[in-house]
Amino acid sequence: MTALLGTASRAPITPPEIRPPLLKRPLRSLRRLGPDGWLALAVTAAVLAVQAWNITGFPTVSDDEGTYLAQAWAVQHHHGLAPYTYWYDHPPLGWMQLAVLSWLPGLLASPAHVFTAELRVAMLPVTAASALLLHLLARRLGLPRWSAALAVLLFGLSPLAVGLQRELFLDNFAVLWILAAFVLAASPRKHLWHHVAAGLCAGVAVLSKETVAVLLPAVVLLLWQHCDRTTRKFSLVGFGTALALVGLGYPLYAAIKGELIPGPGHVSLLGGLLFQLQRAGSGSVLTPGSGSRQVLDSWLYYDRVLIVGGLAVTPPLLCSRRLRAPALAVLLLAAVLLRPGAGYLPAMYVIQALPFLALALAGAAQHGVRLALHGLPRVGLRPVRWAVVALAAVLAAGWTVPRWYAGDRTALTARANAPYDAAARWIRANVPDPAHTRITVDDALWLDLVRDGFAPGTGVIWFYKVDLDPAVARTLPQGWRSLDYIVSTPALRQDPNDLPTVRAALAHSTVLASFGDSAADRIEVRRIAKDAQP
Amino acid sequence: MAALTLWWMLHAWRTPETLAGTSFGAADGLCGLGFSLLVPARHEQQVLEHTVKRLLESSHTDYEILVIVGHDDPLTAAVAARMAEYAPGRVRVITDTHEVKNKPKALNTALPHCRGEVVGVFDAEDQVHPELLGHVDHAFRASGAAVVQGGVQLINFHSSWYSLRNCLEYFFWFRSRLHLHASQGFIPLGGNTVFVRTEVLRAAGGWDQNCLAEDCDLGVRLSSRGAKVVVAYDSSMVTREETPDTLLGLLKQRTRWNQGFLQVYRKKEWQRLPSLRQRLLARWTLTTPFLQAFSGVVIPIDLLLALTVKLPVSVALFSFVPAVPALATFAFEAVALHDFGLQYGLRVRPWHYVKLIAGGPLYQVVLAGAALRAVWREHRGDHGWELTRHVGAHLG
Repeated sequence: MTALLGTASRAPITPPEIRPPLLKRPLRSLRRLGPDGWLALAVTAAVLAVQAWNITGFPTVSDDEGTYLAQAWAVQHHHGLAPYTYWYDHPPLGWMQLAVLSWLPGLLASPAHVFTAELRVAMLPVTAASALLLHLLARRLGLPRWSAALAVLLFGLSPLAVGLQRELFLDNFAVLWILAAFVLAASPRKHLWHHVAAGLCAGVAVLSKETVAVLLPAVVLLLWQHCDRTTRKFSLVGFGTALALVGLGYPLYAAIKGELIPGPGHVSLLGGLLFQLQRAGSGSVLTPGSGSRQVLDSWLYYDRVLIVGGLAVTPPLLCSRRLRAPALAVLLLAAVLLRPGAGYLPAMYVIQALPFLALALAGAAQHGVRLALHGLPRVGLRPVRWAVVALAAVLAAGWTVPRWYAGDRTALTARANAPYDAAARWIRANVPDPAHTRITVDDALWLDLVRDGFAPGTGVIWFYKVDLDPAVARTLPQGWRSLDYIVSTPALRQDPNDLPTVRAALAHSTVLASFGDSAADRIEVRRIAKDAQP
Repeated sequence: MAALTLWWMLHAWRTPETLAGTSFGAADGLCGLGFSLLVPARHEQQVLEHTVKRLLESSHTDYEILVIVGHDDPLTAAVAARMAEYAPGRVRVITDTHEVKNKPKALNTALPHCRGEVVGVFDAEDQVHPELLGHVDHAFRASGAAVVQGGVQLINFHSSWYSLRNCLEYFFWFRSRLHLHASQGFIPLGGNTVFVRTEVLRAAGGWDQNCLAEDCDLGVRLSSRGAKVVVAYDSSMVTREETPDTLLGLLKQRTRWNQGFLQVYRKKEWQRLPSLRQRLLARWTLTTPFLQAFSGVVIPIDLLLALTVKLPVSVALFSFVPAVPALATFAFEAVALHDFGLQYGLRVRPWHYVKLIAGGPLYQVVLAGAALRAVWREHRGDHGWELTRHVGAHLG
């Protein structure tokens, strides 16, 4: 027990400090970075290089990206939380962060590509921060440097990660914050305020994307493990209080707006929540051909190493005290995936699992190497031990590198957004009076047309709002005849059965221009034939 | 403000090392220093004997007890004289002949008679642990400190709704906040279980007889002269006390403390603290009761505004920000109550947590009332002592 706290009595008289010139300071702090910092920066830079290259070209811009970006745009331009009525589909903190991050790249974006793809640059700092946090977390969990670096490379270079982390998804923000919560929970100083900050970060993570709440038990487990017995009570309460108080901000917002519980004539938080919970399920991943199975297959198509390998090593990792929390994180996410009567499974769900799968694999690799080098004390042949390690490394690399090379090559070279780019350019050049023209498009193109001068909301309209938003329908007194153009994209064609006006607009329109080779990817700019018979 | 207060009140639990650092070091059993223990007693004939006998149980070998009684208080003086006979050489009686009496005058009267190298102060009703002197002795020698402040803890948390909060206040103050003050070099000392090197105390001119918070004043004066202060808290060795027995008693006690704080603030001694950081801490600490009073007045107005005036959503959301540290404080108070129960072997029931939370706002009202009353009395130049109900009448 340390003895006593003493007062710093009168400060000793010291000669005035000679301040180093300002330029020397960054150098000094760089030197202080140490091997850990340099290694983290190096692997993060490698990840960034791969993710940044051709970020606008691959993957194809998705409707969700366009939606979040448009909502970020609405926040930036003081239109509220969304360009249309905000209906509590997701908590808004994710696209509020996107609004902050997209500001600068938004100013610099060139018209060569569709705006949504250009703004993916905003995700690079998010990925960089996540990678650095993952490295720090791995170190705090006691992994050696090489293993921590391996975790970052697995996390950032998997073709699955390269595709998904480039996209403007809320899950990427949630991952950043939940990683920060893990890192703070494992504070080596066991500092109360670090644990409170962990609660804050976990709260921000949940308000960025609600599904990340599944991981909270793993954060609490880590916190429990890293607390000192004497201060644990305070740490846990600090964490929980911070988490709850941040989380309460959301219902408070709804309550202030009078939108907490469902009622006639307004949206509500509870209504949004019920929608997400009762959303038509996409079937079980165990049922061949179900929607969930297709999503799972698409993940496995891009990368089997992280998913299959990571899941395989997780159960034994539960026995390792140090890696139990990330292993629990993987299992929690997998349990939600496999739960009976599985609900809706979004394609980006796997984003939340990527850092923990990577950590599990890197941790397992470290355990394996240690076992090979130091296990079985009576077998003393060092060269044999090293040969075993080298062989295992070569086998693992042989399994991984060719697949990843092919996948990442596509990510670095494919021009999947060419049809979108061309359609956006064509509309800009050929639609004469955007301010007085009404056009319905999918969310990915929406912001381009806003930039080109179409009136946001009712001049350029998200296609499903035409049928689903009464406020928009009111501005279309003649139904599909009130529209001038419709841009048919894969997203718009996906499910027109629920959208009669959109279906009618498609039926009563003629193709002006068409982009893309395959029927599935084609984008058509169509003019509505207003005098056509219904 | 609430956030800063929360930050400070949780000081001790920031890291396990900080928490361990708040305790006494293991004593070495040596008796290196001589102690003069001052026990001012006034109309306390019923408790004095027990207190002195308990002090005489001390495991330390080198100490004397100076009981200070008033010349107009024969009953207490008789008990004191009996104790001096009971332990000749250990217990001496000092008679205070001031016309108007108060605690600092009594202490100053005894100071010239102290023979020990360290002066310690206790109240006549204190329950002092026999091992305390040994640990304090060790603390002085190990740290080279000029002042050692030991822990004081109110114990009767079950007596009333406000005693629960009062006990917790002491818990946070002695368990946590005072350590922060010690480490920052600015400390308002407590009124008892405080030990000062005799020469330092004499050089500082003893206690301020005109100050209602002479203990706080002494701390500020010693801090500004660069005296090293250590604080040590050990639940087994704290001096146990009881809360004021009525709400009015609490209000009067708080008024006196607040008025004393105000007097110390106005003496401007704190401005001589060497660093800006210390001066800011001093300014903040001494004015906290009045900021509390201000917030006590403002919060109801805020609530009224929030409920009646239609505000933009962002403004309305922002107006809830102050509630965040307030709610966090409740949560930490609940944990502290649990900790308090464990450390003192007291049974804390669910009902007590409810009382703690529900009593919170009400207690703030009492504190705010005391602060306002203190300002009012100070404004009127009313510096009379309101010690406790039965002595106040004599002193007025």
